Amino acid sequence: MEYTILLQELKNKFEDKILSVDEAADIFTLTVNSEAIKAIVTYLKEQQSFIFLTDLCGIHYPEQEKELGVIYHLHNLVANKRIRLKTFVSKAHPQIDSIVSLFSGANWMERETFDFYGVDFVGHPNLIRILNVEYMDYHPMRKEYPLEDATRLDKDDRFFGR
Amino acid sequence: MKTINSEHHLDLTQEDEKHYSTLNLGPTHPATHGIFQNVLMMNGETIVGAEQTIGYIHRAFEKIAERRPYYQITTLTDRLNYCSSPINNIGWHLAVEKLLGVETSKRVDYMRIIVMELARIADHLVCNSVIGVDSGALTGFVYVFQEREKIYEIYEELCGARLTTNLGRVGGFDRDFSSAAIQKIKALMKRLPKVLHEFENLLMRNRIFMDRTINVGGISAERALNYSFAGPNLRAAGVDYDVRVQEPYSSYSDFDFVVPVGQNGDTYDRFCVRQTEMWESIKMINNALANLPEGKFYTDVPSFNLPPKQDVYSKMEPLISHFKMVMGEIDVPKKEIYSAVEGANGELGFYVVSDGGRTPYRLHFRRPGFIYYQAFPEMITGSSLSDAILTMSSMNVIAGELDA
Repeated sequence: MEYTILLQELKNKFEDKILSVDEAADIFTLTVNSEAIKAIVTYLKEQQSFIFLTDLCGIHYPEQEKELGVIYHLHNLVANKRIRLKTFVSKAHPQIDSIVSLFSGANWMERETFDFYGVDFVGHPNLIRILNVEYMDYHPMRKEYPLEDATRLDKDDRFFGR
Repeated sequence: MKTINSEHHLDLTQEDEKHYSTLNLGPTHPATHGIFQNVLMMNGETIVGAEQTIGYIHRAFEKIAERRPYYQITTLTDRLNYCSSPINNIGWHLAVEKLLGVETSKRVDYMRIIVMELARIADHLVCNSVIGVDSGALTGFVYVFQEREKIYEIYEELCGARLTTNLGRVGGFDRDFSSAAIQKIKALMKRLPKVLHEFENLLMRNRIFMDRTINVGGISAERALNYSFAGPNLRAAGVDYDVRVQEPYSSYSDFDFVVPVGQNGDTYDRFCVRQTEMWESIKMINNALANLPEGKFYTDVPSFNLPPKQDVYSKMEPLISHFKMVMGEIDVPKKEIYSAVEGANGELGFYVVSDGGRTPYRLHFRRPGFIYYQAFPEMITGSSLSDAILTMSSMNVIAGELDA
Protein backbone atom coordinates (compact mmCIF):
# COMPACT_ATOMS: atom_id res chain seq x y z
CA MET A 1 0.00 0.00 0.00
CA GLU A 2 1.31 3.42 -0.96
CA TYR A 3 0.60 4.81 2.49
CA THR A 4 2.77 2.30 4.37
CA ILE A 5 5.84 4.53 4.48
CA LEU A 6 3.84 7.58 5.49
CA LEU A 7 2.11 5.62 8.22
CA GLN A 8 5.42 4.31 9.52
CA GLU A 9 6.88 7.81 9.64
CA LEU A 10 3.83 9.14 11.40
CA LYS A 11 3.97 6.32 13.91
CA ASN A 12 7.62 7.01 14.63
CA LYS A 13 6.87 10.62 15.33
CA PHE A 14 3.46 10.51 16.99
CA GLU A 15 3.27 6.89 18.17
CA ASP A 16 0.81 7.21 21.05
CA LYS A 17 -1.19 10.01 19.42
CA ILE A 18 -2.50 7.86 16.59
CA LEU A 19 -5.50 6.00 17.94
CA SER A 20 -6.57 4.01 14.89
CA VAL A 21 -5.87 3.57 11.22
CA ASP A 22 -8.38 2.72 8.52
CA GLU A 23 -6.79 1.67 5.26
CA ALA A 24 -9.95 0.14 3.85
CA ALA A 25 -11.74 3.46 3.63
CA ASP A 26 -11.89 5.35 0.32
CA ILE A 27 -9.31 7.77 1.68
CA PHE A 28 -6.51 6.74 4.03
CA THR A 29 -7.99 7.60 7.44
CA LEU A 30 -6.32 8.23 10.76
CA THR A 31 -8.03 8.87 14.06
CA VAL A 32 -5.73 10.94 16.22
CA ASN A 33 -5.63 12.42 19.68
CA SER A 34 -7.15 15.91 19.70
CA GLU A 35 -4.15 17.39 21.51
CA ALA A 36 -1.79 16.40 18.72
CA ILE A 37 -3.88 17.53 15.77
CA LYS A 38 -2.01 20.74 15.10
CA ALA A 39 1.37 19.03 15.34
CA ILE A 40 0.24 16.30 12.95
CA VAL A 41 -1.24 18.72 10.43
CA THR A 42 1.93 20.83 10.63
CA TYR A 43 4.05 17.74 10.02
CA LEU A 44 1.88 16.62 7.11
CA LYS A 45 1.96 20.07 5.54
CA GLU A 46 5.61 20.86 6.01
CA GLN A 47 7.30 17.47 5.76
CA GLN A 48 4.90 15.46 3.60
CA SER A 49 3.62 18.20 1.21
CA PHE A 50 -0.04 17.89 2.09
CA ILE A 51 -0.35 21.57 1.22
CA PHE A 52 -4.01 21.70 0.30
CA LEU A 53 -6.71 21.68 2.96
CA THR A 54 -9.65 20.28 1.03
CA ASP A 55 -12.19 20.30 3.77
CA LEU A 56 -12.79 20.60 7.47
CA CYS A 57 -16.11 19.69 9.05
CA GLY A 58 -17.70 18.50 12.25
CA ILE A 59 -19.71 15.45 13.22
CA HIS A 60 -21.65 14.44 16.31
CA TYR A 61 -21.97 10.91 17.77
CA PRO A 62 -24.10 11.31 20.91
CA GLU A 63 -23.47 7.73 22.07
CA GLN A 64 -19.70 8.17 22.23
CA GLU A 65 -17.82 9.34 25.27
CA LYS A 66 -16.07 11.97 23.15
CA GLU A 67 -19.09 13.12 21.24
CA LEU A 68 -17.87 15.80 18.89
CA GLY A 69 -15.65 15.01 15.96
CA VAL A 70 -13.71 17.20 13.57
CA ILE A 71 -12.74 15.76 10.22
CA TYR A 72 -9.88 17.12 8.13
CA HIS A 73 -9.29 16.25 4.50
CA LEU A 74 -5.81 17.08 3.27
CA HIS A 75 -4.49 16.70 -0.24
CA ASN A 76 -0.95 16.27 -1.50
CA LEU A 77 -1.41 17.76 -4.96
CA VAL A 78 1.92 16.65 -6.39
CA ALA A 79 1.68 12.98 -5.46
CA ASN A 80 -2.13 13.16 -5.71
CA LYS A 81 -2.68 11.55 -2.33
CA ARG A 82 -5.44 12.37 0.05
CA ILE A 83 -5.56 11.81 3.77
CA ARG A 84 -8.40 12.08 6.23
CA LEU A 85 -7.79 12.90 9.87
CA LYS A 86 -10.40 12.48 12.55
CA THR A 87 -10.27 13.71 16.05
CA PHE A 88 -12.81 13.63 18.85
CA VAL A 89 -13.45 15.82 21.87
CA SER A 90 -16.04 15.72 24.62
CA LYS A 91 -18.89 18.17 24.78
CA ALA A 92 -17.70 19.41 28.17
CA HIS A 93 -14.22 20.24 26.85
CA PRO A 94 -14.56 20.90 23.14
CA GLN A 95 -11.15 22.52 22.73
CA ILE A 96 -9.06 21.82 19.63
CA ASP A 97 -6.08 23.81 18.40
CA SER A 98 -6.93 25.97 15.44
CA ILE A 99 -4.98 25.45 12.21
CA VAL A 100 -5.67 28.91 10.79
CA SER A 101 -1.99 29.80 11.21
CA LEU A 102 -1.19 26.95 8.79
CA PHE A 103 -4.08 27.31 6.37
CA SER A 104 -5.82 30.67 5.98
CA GLY A 105 -8.66 28.81 4.34
CA ALA A 106 -9.41 27.02 7.60
CA ASN A 107 -10.73 30.27 9.05
CA TRP A 108 -14.31 30.02 7.84
CA MET A 109 -14.37 26.22 7.91
CA GLU A 110 -13.56 26.34 11.62
CA ARG A 111 -16.09 29.10 12.18
CA GLU A 112 -18.69 26.96 10.46
CA THR A 113 -17.80 23.95 12.63
CA PHE A 114 -17.97 26.13 15.72
CA ASP A 115 -21.29 27.54 14.60
CA PHE A 116 -22.93 24.17 14.01
CA TYR A 117 -21.23 21.89 16.54
CA GLY A 118 -19.78 24.16 19.20
CA VAL A 119 -16.19 23.01 18.76
CA ASP A 120 -13.91 25.60 20.36
CA PHE A 121 -10.89 26.19 18.14
CA VAL A 122 -8.18 27.54 20.41
CA GLY A 123 -6.11 30.22 18.73
CA HIS A 124 -8.65 31.13 16.06
CA PRO A 125 -8.46 34.87 15.33
CA ASN A 126 -12.18 35.50 15.14
CA LEU A 127 -14.25 32.54 16.35
CA ILE A 128 -17.80 33.83 15.93
CA ARG A 129 -20.86 32.38 14.25
CA ILE A 130 -20.83 32.55 10.47
CA LEU A 131 -24.07 31.30 8.96
CA ASN A 132 -26.48 31.43 11.89
CA VAL A 133 -27.62 34.55 13.71
CA GLU A 134 -25.31 35.80 16.42
CA TYR A 135 -27.81 35.55 19.27
CA MET A 136 -28.48 31.85 18.69
CA ASP A 137 -27.61 30.03 21.94
CA TYR A 138 -27.21 26.46 20.71
CA HIS A 139 -25.34 24.53 18.03
CA PRO A 140 -27.99 23.28 15.65
CA MET A 141 -26.24 20.38 13.88
CA ARG A 142 -25.91 18.40 17.10
CA LYS A 143 -28.10 15.36 17.10
CA GLU A 144 -30.20 16.40 20.09
CA TYR A 145 -31.94 19.00 17.95
CA PRO A 146 -34.42 17.19 15.73
CA LEU A 147 -35.21 18.81 12.43
CA GLU A 148 -38.96 18.68 12.82
CA ASP A 149 -41.00 19.72 15.82
CA ALA A 150 -41.30 16.59 17.96
CA THR A 151 -44.48 17.82 19.63
CA ARG A 152 -46.52 17.77 16.45
CA LEU A 153 -49.27 15.15 16.51
CA ASP A 154 -50.39 15.38 12.89
CA LYS A 155 -47.17 13.87 11.52
CA ASP A 156 -46.70 10.26 12.52
CA ASP A 157 -43.36 8.98 11.31
CA ARG A 158 -44.38 5.33 11.65
CA PHE A 159 -46.43 5.68 8.50
CA PHE A 160 -43.31 6.65 6.61
CA GLY A 161 -41.14 3.85 7.89
CA ARG A 162 -38.90 6.17 9.85
CA MET B 1 -26.27 39.78 11.70
CA LYS B 2 -23.43 42.17 11.95
CA THR B 3 -24.31 45.81 11.65
CA ILE B 4 -22.07 48.65 10.81
CA ASN B 5 -21.79 49.77 14.43
CA SER B 6 -20.99 46.42 15.98
CA GLU B 7 -17.40 45.55 16.72
CA HIS B 8 -15.53 44.03 13.85
CA HIS B 9 -12.03 42.76 13.98
CA LEU B 10 -10.48 45.56 12.01
CA ASP B 11 -8.21 47.01 14.66
CA LEU B 12 -8.58 50.70 14.21
CA THR B 13 -7.64 53.39 16.64
CA GLN B 14 -9.94 56.34 17.21
CA GLU B 15 -7.50 58.43 15.24
CA ASP B 16 -7.94 56.12 12.25
CA GLU B 17 -11.68 56.23 12.49
CA LYS B 18 -11.64 59.98 12.09
CA HIS B 19 -9.94 59.63 8.74
CA TYR B 20 -11.71 56.56 7.49
CA SER B 21 -15.31 56.09 6.63
CA THR B 22 -17.28 52.87 6.74
CA LEU B 23 -19.19 51.74 3.71
CA ASN B 24 -21.76 48.99 3.61
CA LEU B 25 -21.65 47.15 0.30
CA GLY B 26 -24.71 44.92 0.40
CA PRO B 27 -26.50 42.84 1.54
CA THR B 28 -28.81 44.01 -1.24
CA HIS B 29 -26.54 45.87 -3.58
CA PRO B 30 -26.85 45.39 -7.33
CA ALA B 31 -23.10 44.88 -7.68
CA THR B 32 -22.86 42.00 -5.22
CA HIS B 33 -25.07 39.79 -7.45
CA GLY B 34 -26.42 38.02 -4.38
CA ILE B 35 -27.28 38.53 -0.76
CA PHE B 36 -24.13 39.06 1.25
CA GLN B 37 -22.62 42.04 2.91
CA ASN B 38 -19.20 43.64 2.81
CA VAL B 39 -18.33 46.22 5.43
CA LEU B 40 -15.57 48.28 3.87
CA MET B 41 -13.31 50.71 5.66
CA MET B 42 -12.50 53.44 3.20
CA ASN B 43 -9.81 56.07 3.05
CA GLY B 44 -11.38 58.23 0.38
CA GLU B 45 -11.72 55.93 -2.60
CA THR B 46 -9.17 53.39 -1.30
CA ILE B 47 -10.13 50.34 0.70
CA VAL B 48 -8.07 49.90 3.86
CA GLY B 49 -9.95 46.96 5.32
CA ALA B 50 -12.97 44.81 4.73
CA GLU B 51 -15.07 42.21 6.41
CA GLN B 52 -17.80 40.06 4.95
CA THR B 53 -21.02 38.96 6.56
CA ILE B 54 -22.67 35.92 5.04
CA GLY B 55 -25.53 33.66 6.01
CA TYR B 56 -28.46 35.74 4.77
CA ILE B 57 -29.87 32.85 2.77
CA HIS B 58 -28.71 29.98 4.96
CA ARG B 59 -31.21 27.14 4.51
CA ALA B 60 -29.67 24.45 6.75
CA PHE B 61 -29.15 21.98 3.89
CA GLU B 62 -26.80 19.79 5.88
CA LYS B 63 -29.31 19.45 8.69
CA ILE B 64 -32.20 18.83 6.31
CA ALA B 65 -30.13 16.21 4.48
CA GLU B 66 -29.80 14.20 7.69
CA ARG B 67 -33.51 13.52 7.47
CA ARG B 68 -33.89 13.01 3.77
CA PRO B 69 -33.49 9.82 1.73
CA TYR B 70 -30.74 9.93 -0.87
CA TYR B 71 -32.98 10.77 -3.82
CA GLN B 72 -34.58 13.69 -2.02
CA ILE B 73 -31.20 15.30 -1.45
CA THR B 74 -30.68 15.93 -5.17
CA THR B 75 -33.06 18.87 -4.97
CA LEU B 76 -30.96 20.41 -2.20
CA THR B 77 -27.83 20.30 -4.36
CA ASP B 78 -29.65 22.26 -7.10
CA ARG B 79 -29.70 25.23 -4.82
CA LEU B 80 -26.00 25.37 -4.00
CA ASN B 81 -24.45 26.88 -7.10
CA TYR B 82 -27.68 27.54 -8.95
CA CYS B 83 -25.85 28.79 -12.04
CA SER B 84 -24.74 25.24 -12.80
CA SER B 85 -27.14 22.94 -10.96
CA PRO B 86 -26.64 19.91 -13.25
CA ILE B 87 -23.01 19.61 -12.10
CA ASN B 88 -24.18 19.59 -8.49
CA ASN B 89 -26.88 17.00 -9.24
CA ILE B 90 -24.53 14.69 -11.07
CA GLY B 91 -21.84 15.25 -8.45
CA TRP B 92 -24.28 14.06 -5.82
CA HIS B 93 -25.31 11.04 -7.88
CA LEU B 94 -21.64 10.16 -8.36
CA ALA B 95 -21.19 10.37 -4.58
CA VAL B 96 -24.12 8.00 -4.00
CA GLU B 97 -22.73 5.66 -6.65
CA LYS B 98 -19.37 5.67 -4.89
CA LEU B 99 -21.17 4.82 -1.67
CA LEU B 100 -23.01 1.95 -3.34
CA GLY B 101 -20.01 0.83 -5.37
CA VAL B 102 -21.73 1.23 -8.75
CA GLU B 103 -19.80 1.38 -12.02
CA THR B 104 -21.63 3.36 -14.68
CA SER B 105 -21.59 2.51 -18.36
CA LYS B 106 -19.70 4.56 -20.93
CA ARG B 107 -22.86 5.92 -22.47
CA VAL B 108 -24.02 7.25 -19.12
CA ASP B 109 -20.60 8.79 -18.52
CA TYR B 110 -20.55 10.51 -21.89
CA MET B 111 -24.09 11.79 -21.49
CA ARG B 112 -23.11 13.16 -18.10
CA ILE B 113 -20.05 14.87 -19.53
CA ILE B 114 -22.20 16.57 -22.15
CA VAL B 115 -24.59 17.86 -19.51
CA MET B 116 -21.87 18.89 -17.07
CA GLU B 117 -19.88 20.75 -19.69
CA LEU B 118 -23.01 22.55 -20.88
CA ALA B 119 -23.56 23.63 -17.30
CA ARG B 120 -19.96 24.78 -17.02
CA ILE B 121 -20.39 26.89 -20.14
CA ALA B 122 -23.60 28.40 -18.76
CA ASP B 123 -21.88 29.24 -15.48
CA HIS B 124 -18.79 30.74 -17.08
CA LEU B 125 -20.91 32.74 -19.53
CA VAL B 126 -22.72 34.38 -16.63
CA CYS B 127 -19.53 35.06 -14.72
CA ASN B 128 -17.53 36.48 -17.60
CA SER B 129 -20.29 38.57 -19.06
CA VAL B 130 -20.97 40.05 -15.63
CA ILE B 131 -17.31 41.07 -15.36
CA GLY B 132 -18.04 43.02 -18.52
CA VAL B 133 -21.16 44.55 -17.03
CA ASP B 134 -19.37 45.62 -13.88
CA SER B 135 -16.68 47.30 -15.90
CA GLY B 136 -19.32 49.17 -17.88
CA ALA B 137 -19.68 46.99 -20.99
CA LEU B 138 -23.25 45.77 -21.07
CA THR B 139 -23.31 44.66 -24.70
CA GLY B 140 -21.40 41.40 -24.32
CA PHE B 141 -23.69 40.36 -21.53
CA VAL B 142 -26.74 40.71 -23.75
CA TYR B 143 -25.07 38.74 -26.55
CA VAL B 144 -24.11 35.74 -24.49
CA PHE B 145 -27.23 35.56 -22.36
CA GLN B 146 -29.05 34.46 -25.45
CA GLU B 147 -26.78 31.42 -25.61
CA ARG B 148 -27.29 30.71 -21.92
CA GLU B 149 -30.99 30.73 -22.68
CA LYS B 150 -30.34 28.06 -25.34
CA ILE B 151 -28.53 25.94 -22.75
CA TYR B 152 -31.50 26.29 -20.43
CA GLU B 153 -33.73 25.15 -23.27
CA ILE B 154 -31.57 22.05 -23.55
CA TYR B 155 -32.01 21.40 -19.83
CA GLU B 156 -35.72 21.79 -20.35
CA GLU B 157 -35.61 19.19 -23.08
CA LEU B 158 -33.60 16.82 -20.87
CA CYS B 159 -35.45 17.09 -17.60
CA GLY B 160 -38.25 19.63 -17.86
CA ALA B 161 -36.70 22.24 -15.59
CA ARG B 162 -34.48 25.22 -16.21
CA LEU B 163 -32.80 26.56 -13.12
CA THR B 164 -33.18 23.98 -10.37
CA THR B 165 -32.90 21.02 -12.64
CA ASN B 166 -32.95 17.89 -10.44
CA LEU B 167 -31.40 16.27 -13.48
CA GLY B 168 -30.44 12.63 -13.77
CA ARG B 169 -30.77 9.71 -11.43
CA VAL B 170 -28.46 7.51 -9.42
CA GLY B 171 -26.91 5.27 -12.06
CA GLY B 172 -27.63 7.50 -15.02
CA PHE B 173 -30.65 9.35 -16.32
CA ASP B 174 -34.40 9.06 -16.09
CA ARG B 175 -34.74 9.16 -19.87
CA ASP B 176 -32.57 9.07 -22.93
CA PHE B 177 -31.55 12.20 -24.82
CA SER B 178 -34.44 12.87 -27.16
CA SER B 179 -33.67 13.58 -30.81
CA ALA B 180 -34.84 17.15 -30.19
CA ALA B 181 -32.33 17.48 -27.37
CA ILE B 182 -29.48 16.22 -29.51
CA GLN B 183 -30.51 18.58 -32.28
CA LYS B 184 -30.54 21.49 -29.88
CA ILE B 185 -27.11 20.62 -28.51
CA LYS B 186 -25.70 20.32 -32.04
CA ALA B 187 -27.27 23.63 -33.06
CA LEU B 188 -25.81 25.30 -30.00
CA MET B 189 -22.36 23.87 -30.66
CA LYS B 190 -22.52 25.40 -34.13
CA ARG B 191 -23.57 28.83 -32.90
CA LEU B 192 -21.55 29.11 -29.73
CA PRO B 193 -18.06 29.46 -31.26
CA LYS B 194 -19.25 32.42 -33.31
CA VAL B 195 -20.79 34.08 -30.29
CA LEU B 196 -17.75 33.43 -28.13
CA HIS B 197 -15.50 34.95 -30.80
CA GLU B 198 -17.73 37.98 -30.94
CA PHE B 199 -17.70 38.25 -27.16
CA GLU B 200 -13.93 37.94 -27.04
CA ASN B 201 -13.55 40.58 -29.74
CA LEU B 202 -15.53 42.92 -27.54
CA LEU B 203 -13.52 42.42 -24.38
CA MET B 204 -10.34 40.36 -24.55
CA ARG B 205 -8.08 42.90 -26.26
CA ASN B 206 -10.19 45.91 -25.40
CA ARG B 207 -7.88 48.57 -23.98
CA ILE B 208 -10.41 49.86 -21.45
CA PHE B 209 -11.32 46.37 -20.28
CA MET B 210 -7.66 45.38 -19.96
CA ASP B 211 -6.83 48.52 -17.99
CA ARG B 212 -9.70 47.82 -15.66
CA THR B 213 -8.85 44.16 -15.03
CA ILE B 214 -5.09 43.57 -15.36
CA ASN B 215 -3.38 43.69 -11.96
CA VAL B 216 -6.72 44.10 -10.24
CA GLY B 217 -7.59 41.79 -7.36
CA GLY B 218 -4.58 39.56 -7.84
CA ILE B 219 -3.57 36.70 -5.59
CA SER B 220 -0.35 34.69 -5.68
CA ALA B 221 -0.36 30.93 -6.22
CA GLU B 222 0.97 30.38 -2.74
CA ARG B 223 -1.75 32.44 -1.07
CA ALA B 224 -4.42 30.89 -3.26
CA LEU B 225 -3.35 27.41 -2.21
CA ASN B 226 -3.19 28.51 1.41
CA TYR B 227 -6.76 29.70 1.09
CA SER B 228 -7.77 26.34 -0.46
CA PHE B 229 -8.84 28.00 -3.69
CA ALA B 230 -10.00 25.64 -6.40
CA GLY B 231 -11.24 25.77 -9.94
CA PRO B 232 -10.70 28.69 -12.32
CA ASN B 233 -9.66 31.03 -9.50
CA LEU B 234 -6.81 28.74 -8.47
CA ARG B 235 -5.82 28.03 -12.05
CA ALA B 236 -5.72 31.76 -12.81
CA ALA B 237 -3.10 32.02 -10.07
CA GLY B 238 -1.01 29.45 -11.92
CA VAL B 239 -1.77 26.11 -10.24
CA ASP B 240 -3.06 23.48 -12.66
CA TYR B 241 -5.28 21.62 -10.22
CA ASP B 242 -8.38 20.25 -11.89
CA VAL B 243 -10.35 17.36 -10.38
CA ARG B 244 -11.22 16.16 -13.89
CA VAL B 245 -7.53 15.50 -14.50
CA GLN B 246 -6.30 14.70 -11.02
CA GLU B 247 -8.99 12.19 -10.13
CA PRO B 248 -10.92 11.53 -13.34
CA TYR B 249 -14.54 10.61 -12.76
CA SER B 250 -17.24 9.82 -15.28
CA SER B 251 -14.67 8.81 -17.99
CA TYR B 252 -13.08 12.26 -18.24
CA SER B 253 -9.83 10.39 -18.86
CA ASP B 254 -11.14 9.45 -22.32
CA PHE B 255 -11.06 13.07 -23.37
CA ASP B 256 -8.19 15.20 -24.42
CA PHE B 257 -8.49 18.70 -23.05
CA VAL B 258 -6.27 21.53 -21.97
CA VAL B 259 -6.30 22.89 -18.43
CA PRO B 260 -5.66 26.60 -18.89
CA VAL B 261 -3.61 28.39 -16.25
CA GLY B 262 -2.96 32.07 -15.67
CA GLN B 263 0.04 33.86 -14.26
CA ASN B 264 -0.94 36.68 -11.95
CA GLY B 265 -4.20 35.44 -10.50
CA ASP B 266 -5.80 38.78 -11.29
CA THR B 267 -9.22 39.56 -12.68
CA TYR B 268 -8.04 39.43 -16.29
CA ASP B 269 -6.46 36.00 -15.77
CA ARG B 270 -9.63 34.67 -14.20
CA PHE B 271 -11.58 36.00 -17.17
CA CYS B 272 -9.20 34.37 -19.65
CA VAL B 273 -9.11 31.04 -17.82
CA ARG B 274 -12.90 30.83 -17.83
CA GLN B 275 -12.99 31.86 -21.47
CA THR B 276 -10.52 29.13 -22.45
CA GLU B 277 -12.38 26.57 -20.38
CA MET B 278 -15.50 27.26 -22.40
CA TRP B 279 -13.61 26.47 -25.61
CA GLU B 280 -12.37 23.26 -24.06
CA SER B 281 -15.90 22.39 -22.98
CA ILE B 282 -17.17 22.90 -26.51
CA LYS B 283 -14.48 20.53 -27.78
CA MET B 284 -15.41 17.96 -25.16
CA ILE B 285 -19.13 18.14 -25.91
CA ASN B 286 -18.52 17.74 -29.65
CA ASN B 287 -16.21 14.84 -28.94
CA ALA B 288 -18.64 13.13 -26.60
CA LEU B 289 -21.53 13.60 -29.04
CA ALA B 290 -19.53 12.16 -31.91
CA ASN B 291 -18.40 9.15 -29.88
CA LEU B 292 -21.55 8.59 -27.86
CA PRO B 293 -21.62 4.82 -27.31
CA GLU B 294 -24.77 2.81 -27.90
CA GLY B 295 -26.53 1.30 -24.96
CA LYS B 296 -28.77 2.06 -22.07
CA PHE B 297 -29.11 5.52 -20.57
CA TYR B 298 -28.97 4.10 -17.06
CA THR B 299 -26.94 1.56 -15.16
CA ASP B 300 -28.61 -1.27 -13.32
CA VAL B 301 -28.86 -0.24 -9.70
CA PRO B 302 -32.01 -2.18 -8.83
CA SER B 303 -32.71 -0.35 -5.61
CA PHE B 304 -32.32 3.07 -7.25
CA ASN B 305 -33.72 2.66 -10.79
CA LEU B 306 -37.08 4.35 -10.65
CA PRO B 307 -39.70 2.50 -12.73
CA PRO B 308 -41.20 4.22 -15.80
CA LYS B 309 -43.82 6.77 -14.84
CA GLN B 310 -46.67 5.24 -16.86
CA ASP B 311 -46.16 1.95 -15.02
CA VAL B 312 -46.19 3.72 -11.67
CA TYR B 313 -49.60 5.11 -12.48
CA SER B 314 -51.10 1.92 -13.88
CA LYS B 315 -49.46 -1.09 -12.17
CA MET B 316 -49.23 -2.22 -8.58
CA GLU B 317 -45.63 -3.45 -8.34
CA PRO B 318 -43.94 -0.43 -9.93
CA LEU B 319 -46.05 1.83 -7.69
CA ILE B 320 -44.81 0.05 -4.58
CA SER B 321 -41.18 0.06 -5.62
CA HIS B 322 -41.39 3.69 -6.69
CA PHE B 323 -42.80 4.64 -3.32
CA LYS B 324 -40.16 2.65 -1.48
CA MET B 325 -37.32 4.21 -3.42
CA VAL B 326 -38.53 7.75 -3.03
CA MET B 327 -39.25 7.28 0.66
CA GLY B 328 -35.85 5.70 1.14
CA GLU B 329 -36.69 2.10 2.05
CA ILE B 330 -33.40 1.03 0.53
CA ASP B 331 -30.37 -0.67 1.99
CA VAL B 332 -27.27 1.47 1.79
CA PRO B 333 -23.87 0.21 2.95
CA LYS B 334 -22.45 1.47 6.21
CA LYS B 335 -19.56 3.52 4.93
CA GLU B 336 -18.08 6.93 4.69
CA ILE B 337 -16.86 8.45 1.47
CA TYR B 338 -15.60 11.69 0.03
CA SER B 339 -16.45 12.25 -3.59
CA ALA B 340 -15.47 15.33 -5.56
CA VAL B 341 -16.29 16.74 -8.96
CA GLU B 342 -14.93 19.78 -10.73
CA GLY B 343 -17.78 22.23 -10.32
CA ALA B 344 -17.85 25.45 -12.28
CA ASN B 345 -16.18 27.17 -9.33
CA GLY B 346 -13.84 24.39 -8.34
CA GLU B 347 -13.71 21.23 -6.31
CA LEU B 348 -17.26 20.47 -5.25
CA GLY B 349 -17.01 17.76 -2.64
CA PHE B 350 -19.55 15.57 -0.89
CA TYR B 351 -18.51 13.99 2.39
CA VAL B 352 -21.11 11.36 3.19
CA VAL B 353 -21.21 9.31 6.38
CA SER B 354 -23.77 6.54 6.12
CA ASP B 355 -24.84 4.41 9.09
CA GLY B 356 -26.84 2.11 6.84
CA GLY B 357 -30.08 3.97 7.47
CA ARG B 358 -32.44 5.57 4.99
CA THR B 359 -30.74 8.95 5.26
CA PRO B 360 -27.09 9.97 5.53
CA TYR B 361 -25.85 10.19 9.10
CA ARG B 362 -23.86 13.24 8.10
CA LEU B 363 -23.51 15.03 4.80
CA HIS B 364 -21.08 17.85 4.28
CA PHE B 365 -20.81 19.85 1.08
CA ARG B 366 -17.39 21.22 0.25
CA ARG B 367 -18.58 24.40 -1.38
CA PRO B 368 -15.76 26.05 -3.32
CA GLY B 369 -17.37 29.50 -3.20
CA PHE B 370 -17.62 29.45 0.57
CA ILE B 371 -13.94 28.66 0.85
CA TYR B 372 -12.43 31.13 -1.60
CA TYR B 373 -14.62 34.06 -0.70
CA GLN B 374 -12.74 34.42 2.59
CA ALA B 375 -9.74 35.70 0.65
CA PHE B 376 -11.73 38.66 -0.65
CA PRO B 377 -10.56 41.25 1.96
CA GLU B 378 -6.95 40.32 1.33
CA MET B 379 -7.44 40.67 -2.42
CA ILE B 380 -9.07 44.11 -2.33
CA THR B 381 -7.20 45.88 0.45
CA GLY B 382 -5.38 48.80 -1.11
CA SER B 383 -7.47 48.92 -4.25
CA SER B 384 -10.33 51.21 -5.12
CA LEU B 385 -14.00 50.47 -4.61
CA SER B 386 -14.72 49.98 -8.30
CA ASP B 387 -11.87 47.46 -8.54
CA ALA B 388 -13.28 45.56 -5.56
CA ILE B 389 -16.56 45.13 -7.42
CA LEU B 390 -14.77 43.72 -10.46
CA THR B 391 -12.76 41.39 -8.23
CA MET B 392 -15.91 40.08 -6.62
CA SER B 393 -17.67 39.37 -9.90
CA SER B 394 -14.58 37.70 -11.36
CA MET B 395 -14.35 35.35 -8.37
CA ASN B 396 -17.91 34.24 -9.16
CA VAL B 397 -19.27 34.40 -5.64
CA ILE B 398 -22.68 32.72 -5.59
CA ALA B 399 -24.82 33.32 -2.53
CA GLY B 400 -26.43 29.88 -2.66
CA GLU B 401 -23.05 28.22 -2.53
CA LEU B 402 -21.82 30.48 0.26
CA ASP B 403 -24.66 29.83 2.62
CA ALA B 404 -25.84 26.30 1.85
